[in-house]
This record gives sequence, structure tokens and C-alpha cells, in this order.
Amino acid sequence: MPEYIKFVDVTKCDGCRACMVACKNWNDLPVATEEYSGSIQSHEKVNAYTWNVITYTEHETADGGFEWLFRHQSCLHCVEAACEKACPEDAISHTEFGSVVVDHDKCVGCGYCVQNCIFDVIELATYKDKNGKEYRKAQKCTLCTDRLEQGLLPACVRACHSGCLQYGKKEEILAEAEKRLEKVKERFPNANIYNPPGINGSATVYLLAEKPSVYGLPEDPKLPASLTLWKDYLRPASKALMGVTLTAVLGAVIANARNKGPEEQEGGQDNQ
Amino acid sequence: MSRRTKTRPIQRFSRQIIISHWWNATAFFILYLSGLPLYTEWFDFLYVFFGGPENARLVHRVFAVVICLPIVFMLLFDRKGFFHWIKSIFTWSKRDIQFLLAFPKEFFGRNPKYPPQDFYNGGEKLNSLLQILCIGMLVISGFIMWLPDFFPQFLVRWAFPMHNIGFGLAAAVVVGHIYLSIGHPNSRVSMQGMTKGYVPEWYAEEHHGKWYEELKEQERKKQGAETQDAQGKQAVSQ
Amino acid sequence: MVIGANPAENHPISFRWIQKALDKGATLISVDPRYTRTSQMANIYAQLRSGTDIAFIGGMINYVLQNELYPKDYVVHYTNAAHIVAETYSFDDGLFSGYDPETRSYDKSQWAFETDENGNIKRDPTLQHPRCVFQLLKKHYSRYDVDTVCNVTGTDKETYLKICEIYGSTGRMDKAGTILYAMGGTQHTVGSQNIRAYAILQMLLGNIGIQGGGVNALRGESNVQGSTDFALLYHDTPGYMGMPTTVDPTYEDFLNRITPKSGFKTNFPKFFTSLLKCYYGDNARPDNEFGYQFHPKITNGKNYSFLRMFDAMYRGEIEGLLLFGSNPVIGGANTYKLQEALGNLKWMVAVDLFETETSAFWQKAAGKDPASVQTEVIFLPACSSYEKEGSVTNSGRWMQYRWQAIKPKGESKPDLEIVHMLARRLKDLYKNEDTPAARPINALYWNYGDSDHPDIDLVCREINGYEWETKKQVSGFGELKDDGSTACGNWIYSGFYPGDENLAKRRDNKDTGMGNFLNWAYAWPANRRVIYNRASADPTGKPWSKDRIGIYWDEAQGKWVGNDVPDFVATKGPDDPTFNDPFIMQPDGKGAIFSAAMNEGPFPEHYEPYENPIKNVFSSVNLNPAVQLGDKALNTAGDISKYPIIATTYRVSEHWQSGIMTRNVPWLAELMPYMYVEISEELAKEKGIKPKDEVIISTARGEIKAYAMITKRFKPYKINGKTFHHIGMPWHYGYKGIATGEIANRLTPHIGDANSTIPEYKAFLCDIRRA
Repeated sequence: MPEYIKFVDVTKCDGCRACMVACKNWNDLPVATEEYSGSIQSHEKVNAYTWNVITYTEHETADGGFEWLFRHQSCLHCVEAACEKACPEDAISHTEFGSVVVDHDKCVGCGYCVQNCIFDVIELATYKDKNGKEYRKAQKCTLCTDRLEQGLLPACVRACHSGCLQYGKKEEILAEAEKRLEKVKERFPNANIYNPPGINGSATVYLLAEKPSVYGLPEDPKLPASLTLWKDYLRPASKALMGVTLTAVLGAVIANARNKGPEEQEGGQDNQ
Repeated sequence: MSRRTKTRPIQRFSRQIIISHWWNATAFFILYLSGLPLYTEWFDFLYVFFGGPENARLVHRVFAVVICLPIVFMLLFDRKGFFHWIKSIFTWSKRDIQFLLAFPKEFFGRNPKYPPQDFYNGGEKLNSLLQILCIGMLVISGFIMWLPDFFPQFLVRWAFPMHNIGFGLAAAVVVGHIYLSIGHPNSRVSMQGMTKGYVPEWYAEEHHGKWYEELKEQERKKQGAETQDAQGKQAVSQ
Repeated sequence: MVIGANPAENHPISFRWIQKALDKGATLISVDPRYTRTSQMANIYAQLRSGTDIAFIGGMINYVLQNELYPKDYVVHYTNAAHIVAETYSFDDGLFSGYDPETRSYDKSQWAFETDENGNIKRDPTLQHPRCVFQLLKKHYSRYDVDTVCNVTGTDKETYLKICEIYGSTGRMDKAGTILYAMGGTQHTVGSQNIRAYAILQMLLGNIGIQGGGVNALRGESNVQGSTDFALLYHDTPGYMGMPTTVDPTYEDFLNRITPKSGFKTNFPKFFTSLLKCYYGDNARPDNEFGYQFHPKITNGKNYSFLRMFDAMYRGEIEGLLLFGSNPVIGGANTYKLQEALGNLKWMVAVDLFETETSAFWQKAAGKDPASVQTEVIFLPACSSYEKEGSVTNSGRWMQYRWQAIKPKGESKPDLEIVHMLARRLKDLYKNEDTPAARPINALYWNYGDSDHPDIDLVCREINGYEWETKKQVSGFGELKDDGSTACGNWIYSGFYPGDENLAKRRDNKDTGMGNFLNWAYAWPANRRVIYNRASADPTGKPWSKDRIGIYWDEAQGKWVGNDVPDFVATKGPDDPTFNDPFIMQPDGKGAIFSAAMNEGPFPEHYEPYENPIKNVFSSVNLNPAVQLGDKALNTAGDISKYPIIATTYRVSEHWQSGIMTRNVPWLAELMPYMYVEISEELAKEKGIKPKDEVIISTARGEIKAYAMITKRFKPYKINGKTFHHIGMPWHYGYKGIATGEIANRLTPHIGDANSTIPEYKAFLCDIRRA
């Protein structure tokens, strides 16, 4: 379990997007302008070049009211991360801070992580090497691990002016979060803390104003069964099978060493 | 031993079948090598042979298409051989089961008894079926993995374990297949069939008894017809 | 209460503090034509048709009066509610007494107070006299009953009453309410009166001069306060002392005009003479009226504002234009016409960070054939605020000094340097001439260094003021003299640089009490943080509420003490007859609920915008009767029959002003790349507009194309029984930069407020169709 978490209290977010620019600035991310979306939302979702996106949802509530819900969408840094599990090259791992990071030296750009992420976060970025040839690497929010290592706050947290984004000790933050939850329930009866148990929690925890599905988040996310089957059972079994097969063949070689091939057998008088 | 003296070559496989077989084998081998490092970091050293992961993926996809072509080739240039094979591997009888039961003993050096086998023995039939199944799984799941944007997410996610099962099984079977074709004293003679196209008569008689009988039957008929012809000619000339 | 503003969007850092207030239990009310991000953060949102603030606030004033929510002591003692108004004052059917329809102006002398034989204003502290301000106020706003108001503004009645109740509850002296406004309040033909209405409401509720109260402007630009302090507007001089005109032939004439008989402004001669001294140095002497004849004079009654300047330019009366960080083609009104007007210039000097739509008005991209434009355009690159040193003054009048973070790129220069270079070259150019044009330039005392690079410290010292002979810095405006022995660039800032410490550079963030960080930077005047803070104590000098202490009278020490610097003579005690006159800038020291200073009348009255959707419900006068119409060639208006939709303009977080800086920043352009117009789902359905469609918005002045943003946050309005659609759009876009889009201000009307002449960008009529 992570000791520190990044906490997003959406009820304090006023949708200013300073966090988006701070992230691009710190990580030197290129511009990835999208087509007009029909709303002020600039990107449909986080992508390889945009590691956090503010989503804007116009939501009519059950009692006829109206809420314009803002959410800082970014990698959840799941404790049980589908991307980490899916990676066949062991390129994705957890750091001491609980953040899930991609080692670009090991990543081969296969995209398995992209297909398995339950939250549709991680994506492949295209780069050009010095010969002009294109290659791909998976990338996403790093929870500013490079800043954390220097004792700094993540760039988005640092930029947030409203107290929506916080970073600190998990117990302390979650205790305050519970209090805040009680307070906001008056206006947002469906408010909840989103720290999904199905993935054993995450290093980015949300206080949502509405049910997760209103924000496009899965209500009870778990690792895909196909992923667990593959990584926890099939792959180790297949690796074992390779070994078994080779052993069997080796065994057969030894067992048959005594036997000579038919063309070498003695006798063979032509009896015709 | 008189049987081993019958060394007359019996035609077994057509040129087209031979080409298809090695085409498949080569493609499979390259797919395997280019796929292993993508599968697990144990085999990352193999990337060197391809000049990096991007190239390995490219080669893998190229040969994925290549391995789909032999079928087309066969349908175009040796439909008879192709459908003979298909018909044969889907026709199972008691003698095939008995072969399979006896196979493990033979694999490990014993000489069990089993009834005369068809053109393809029980093991070969099973191997073919398994390979068709596995390549099928591999091609379908591979295609889905290649173009994930065209398929729903759950399908893409299940493609990974499917691809794994496909090649895991295929590889295990192939290892056995290779061993039997070049290693195992009893069966390595069959290699000739897949290189030169024929096997020695004694081998056909021993390993594919039923097929041998059918061949002999055909020969007899032919000889009979020839004799009749000759006699006819004689009669005419007399 | 946030009205005519959207701080969550446009003043995000201010919103940090609003959020802290919310965390402490404050109630945020958002009043806006559409549901904004501020509305989302608010506890209450009310829909308001753009241009109907006076109706909205008038109704609240009425509510407060009817329900007696006003604090009597404050109102009686600190405002002019008890003043009795002369019999010459009257109001009937939308017009006050003294109106001349020819000039569209009033004879304000008719709005005088009744005086006794000694010239003192008569008062009725019981507030019963039928002609006391209080009763006149009550009568005037009795017409603003809730139903009439909601009919005009389109606000839901229940919500409106809730706001009246909650905001009205700040009439208790232990509670405070603050009104935050921005361009949504000011950019109307009744803009100034909008703000006046907020001020009257606040005075009525006892919310002026106390911590947490006030009428607070959220500026369109970070240094607007600093700009107006230094007389960016044509009708003023640094320190708001008015401008010499053609009816002030002598200095004495001028001083007599601007100096009242009583009140703090009696000090103006000291301040203006000190100003002249810093302009003309040794050429400002007692024997030559301190150089008054060198000072420019404007024609009395002539309007030199932005709108009228472009009128003149359109008529070919202006030869040259200096644009400092200004982009009228995007930021003006009716900008198709402005662009044409620019073509009449002989020359233009544009000073900016990037090439602007205005400095490029002659290019093909602007729709012009360069060969046909005769204007010579010179572009001087300016550097950004991070590349230069200087101060910025915020809404709280804090002068905060800033340092240069990086050196200017390429040849770009700070504005100060550009002006300095210009002045030096002008002086050099005219030094051997003795013509009327040359004399003021020769007389100019330009003491900022001998090279092209000015010493900004010298500028700072001059603004603060110093004794002429000794060059010793003064410690405040109290030391300024009217005999030419002192020089001061701006009396309101005097005191920020008393010795050798520039107090605007201070950054001590310790709260010295009640959120007044007295040692952080320097607030004018004299580091007073809350203006008129005498009003934070009751008529006996005790704080109204012990939880909200501003300043209070300490009998033992014989002075005013507390959490702020007294905006009052510190030693003025209870035995002084002006002890209860907190509004020190008024001649009578009382808050002006009734005021003859405005051009439209002593009380704000609702008038419809220039392009009105309905006839005025409150009177038969549709348009503000004091608004000047300007040149016919530019003031085209559209009729509701052709343009049935109400439109407004506004801003977004990601872009700023005319977008020239922000649309050139890749990450900001990425966030807001496209020009769009926000329309309700109902309007979209009516016009067959689908999400992501492009639409054409048309007005009497032209049309533009933009993406349609269909939203639930605009709803149809029920105004006077009829349904109207209301739309809005950001005005940041132009054809330059990374993010481009069509220009919203091509649609806005070229007509301005009756006092400030600020254009009515915020309320006009249009039509919309699919592109």
C-alpha cells in the first residue's frame, strides 16, 4: 500500500486547467491539439502527450438541479496495475512512492499495456530516432516521480490554486477526506471516495461529487480476467511447458540412444 | 530381414506439398523467434538479430502474412493433395486411437505394436489438427492484436491469452514434430518424404501399412490392366 | 455576491481566496447570463439578462428598504441618507429634472441639496422628511418590486428572493458582504450606474469601510488600477485631480474648479503644484504659474475617449497613432469599421510582443490589399512583464514591485525604456526651436538617466515625491506643498518610498490582523488597506463588531488604532465635528447614496441596452438619456425584429484580452484552439444546429463564423411575457497566432457609457444560423 497519495477533491476544482499546463511544462510534452469537441474540454481523454485532462460534464441531477462537474483525469497509479501486469518486457513497475512508471529503456512499444488499462490512460507516443526512423514508447503520468525524488510536489499539485490537488501522507489525507465527504454530501448526496478496492486501491485517490459512472469511470474496476489468465497462469505455464517439452525430447534422445536407426540395423539380407 | 531390403522409393508427397511445408516451417520459425522477445523479457537478447524491437515487430507481422499464404498456394497448385490431406486428417478410426495410445511407449524407445496406419498415421493426423487449430488461433488473435483499433476492447484483451495458448501449444507440438523427423530412430526416415518426396518401400510398409496395401492393390490392378493390354495386343498381333 | 464577473474563469488566483472563504462557511452568489465555472463553485446561481443589473440591484435595494434590513446608525451617520434634497430635484418617467434632449445632458445643479442660511446642508436624522435622500431612494426603488424586476431580468423569482434575503442579511454590522464585479458590470451604456447601484446597496447595508465589505473590481488587466492611477484616461491626471481644459485659462482657474470648499480634496493645490514641479522642474516656478501653460489642455466638453478617437480617425482627422500593448481590431467595438478607420492614418507605431491584428491591419490576412493602404506602420517589439522591472497595482490598491526574471529577447524593450528613448529624442529634436509646440518639450524635466536605458529607481523616487532643494524623499502626501518646494509624480502613492526603502518591494507575509498584511508591499493611500475604514467603528468610535475589527478610537492613546492604517486623521477624536465623516474624499464626508456626480442622475435608473430586446418597462425612455451617440457612420444599431437573439461577450481562462500573447503560446492554444459561441439546447433545436456545427452569428454591423457550443448552461429567458434566447461568446480570437478564429468584436456596437464611454460590449442583438 502506498504511504503517500495524490488526492483530487473535485468539489474544490474550478476547472482552471493550470494543472494541464504545469504538467506539459514540467514534462516538456508536445502540443497535441484535437478537433473541436463541442465543449470547452480540450482533449477527449488523457493520451500519450497529454498526461492530465480536465473533463467537463454537464450533469442534470435527480432532483432537477444542475451541476457542471470538473474532474482532473490522470493515471490512477493503481496498486494492482493492469499496465504493469500486461507488460511482457517487465518495463512497468511501482516506485517507492507508489507511482507506476514506465522504463523507456525496456519498453518496446508493443502496446499491451494500452489495451489492458482499465481506465484507458496509458498510450503509445511516437518518437523518431537519429536516423529518422519512428519508434513507439508507452507513456503516461509519472506522478512526477522525478520531482518526488527531490522532495518536490508533483507539478500539477504545485500549480493547483484551489486546494483540489493535494499530495501527502495517505492516512492524514484520507481522514480529512472523510470529513470533507460528510460536508459536501449536503450538496452532492452521491459524493464518494474513489479508491477502488478491486485493484487494491490507487496512489491517486478521488473525492467525486457524483457516482463514478457519471465521470466515465468504472464503478468497481478490477483487472481484466483475460489479463490475469494470461500473466498469472498461461505465461508461466507456457514457460514451464517449454521446459517440459525440451526435457521430454532430451529424455527421448537418451532413451533412444541405444536404438539404432533402421538403416543401421544389422542383418538385412535381402530375402527376396 | 527381408522387409528392410525393399528400398524401392514410393512417392509420398508432391513438390507443392513439400514447398508448402517448408514455407510454413520457415515462417513459423521466424515468427517464433521474433515473437519470443515480445512475449517475455527472458528472450530480449533475440532483438539483436532483428535490429531492435520495432524491426522484430515488423518482421513478425510480415511473416504473419507469409504463413497465411501456403493454403492459397495449395488451393491454386495442388488442390488434390490439399484435400487429400484435409480428408485424411478428419477421418478417424480405431487404428488411429490405438496408435496414439501406443505412441508414448514408442517415443521413449520401446517398440509397441499397433495396427497398420493410413497415409497419415494417428499421430500425424493429430499433429495436423493441432497445428491447424493453433495457427488458426494465432492468426485470428494476432490479427486482432495487430489492429486493436478495429476491434472492441474485450476482444483485444482476450486475444493476448489466446495468442499465448496458440503458440504455446504449437511450439510444444513443433518441438516434438522436429524431434520425430530428425531425431527419433524410428521415424527420422520420414524426413526423406518431405525433402525428396519419397520414402523407402519398407518404411511405407512398416509405418503406413494400410496405405501400403492400397498402393499394392493399385499396382496389381495396373499390372492386370497392362497384362490384359499386352495380351490383347498379342492376340491382335497373332 | 459576484455579478458581472466570473472569477473562477478570469481571476483564478483570486478564486483561491474565494475558495478559502467558502471553506470557512461564506456563501457565494453568482449572478450571470449563463451558468459559469464561478456559478458551479457558488451556493446560489441566478440567471440575469445581460444589461439589467440596475433592475436586479434596484430590486434588492427595494427589498432591503421594505424589510428594514439596513443598519440605521450606519446609514444615518455615515451616508447622506439624511440629507434633504432641493425642491428643484424631480424624477418622472425615466428622466430626472434638468434634462436637455439637444445635448443629451443634464443641468446637475438641479440635483443640489437644500442648504440653510450658512450654506450647510439640511439633514433629517429621523429619515422621515419626504425630500430626504432616504425617502427619495425609497420612492425611486419602490417601482422595482420583485415581479417587475424578475420580468425584466429573466431571473427565477424564488432564487431572486433567496438572494435578497441572504445578501440582505449582511445588513447586520457583525456580518459583511462584498460585491465582486468586472466587465460584465461596466461594459454597458449604463455601466457606471451599474457600479453605482452596487455601491448604494453596499452603503445601505453598512458594507463599506468594513473588513470583508466593499465594492471590488476584478480588473480586465492586472494593472488597470495602476493605469488609471497614472491617468491612462484622457479626462484625468495622475492622482485623479481632473484635467486642465480650455475653460481653465489660468492655473488659478483650474485650481478653483477642481478644489472643493471642504473635505480632503482641499489639498489638491498642493498635489497638483507638486505634479507640475516634477513635470517641469526648474521651469515650474511661482512666477510662471508653475509651468501650467506648458501643460496640455483638452477642449472643454469634448470626448477624447477610445470610441470618439476612432470616430475622428474614421473621418480622417487623426494622422498618427501610438499603440502601446493595444489591439483595437480585436478589443474595440464594431471592429470592421475600426479597421477601415486605421487605413486613414498616415502612420502608426505599434508596440507589442507579437505582431497583432491591428498592426497587421494592412495585410492580406486581414482582408486588405496591402498596395491600397497608405499607412506607414512601425512595429517596436516590447518585452513581457517577466523581462522587466516595475510595479503593478491590484484591486486592493497594493503597489507590488516586481523584478526582472530574464533579460528581454532580441531587441525587445520595456515600455519604460521605449518611452524614455522617445522623450530623449523628442527633446533633442526640438531643443533649438522656440515654437509653441517646442516649448513644452523643452521645458520638460526628464530626469531618468543619461543613457537610453532609464533608471527606474529615479522614476520611483519621483512618484513618491521629494523636497526640491534637498532632494530628500517625503514620507507622505501630508508633506507636499503648494509653493513649488516639493515635487511628486502621484500624490496617492506618496509615502511608498519614504527614505531609501521602496516599500512596494516588501514581502512580509505575516497577517498583521484581519487579513491586512500591512508589511506586504504598499497600498495607497498611506498603506491603508480598507478605504473609509473609519466606518468600521460606530459613531462612538467602538468597533461595530468585536469579530470584525478594522480601526477603533483609543481614548487613552488619543488616536485611532486597530488592524489597519486609519483612512482618517489619526488623532481626530469625538470632540471633532467631522468625527463621523468616514467618506473623507466626499466634501461632506458622507457616503453618497444620492450623488450629482454622475451624468445620468443621482440614482441609477434602469434603461435598456442600445440594442434593446424589449421596450423599457420602467419608463418610456429606452436608452440611457445621457449616452452620447457618436458618429453615425460607426454607431449602427440593429432592431429586434431582424436580430431576435440577445448576445454578450466574455473571456476564458486560457486566453487573455485580445489573445495576442496567449494565442501565441502553444499549450494555451492547445487548450482553447477554436472560436465558439455558446447557445442553449433549445436554441440549437430551433435552428437545427447539431453539436460541432459551425454557425454564423450576424448583427447590424456584420457577421462572423464560429463553432457552436450547445450547452445546458444557457437557458431561454422569459422577458415581459416573451421568450428570448441569450447567447455568448469569447472575444479573444483573431487571425494572428497559433489559435485563430473570427473576431467577436466585429459584432459589438460602437456606443459607450454616459460617464466613462466604455463600449457596450456586453449586451447587443444578433441572429444565428447554421453555416
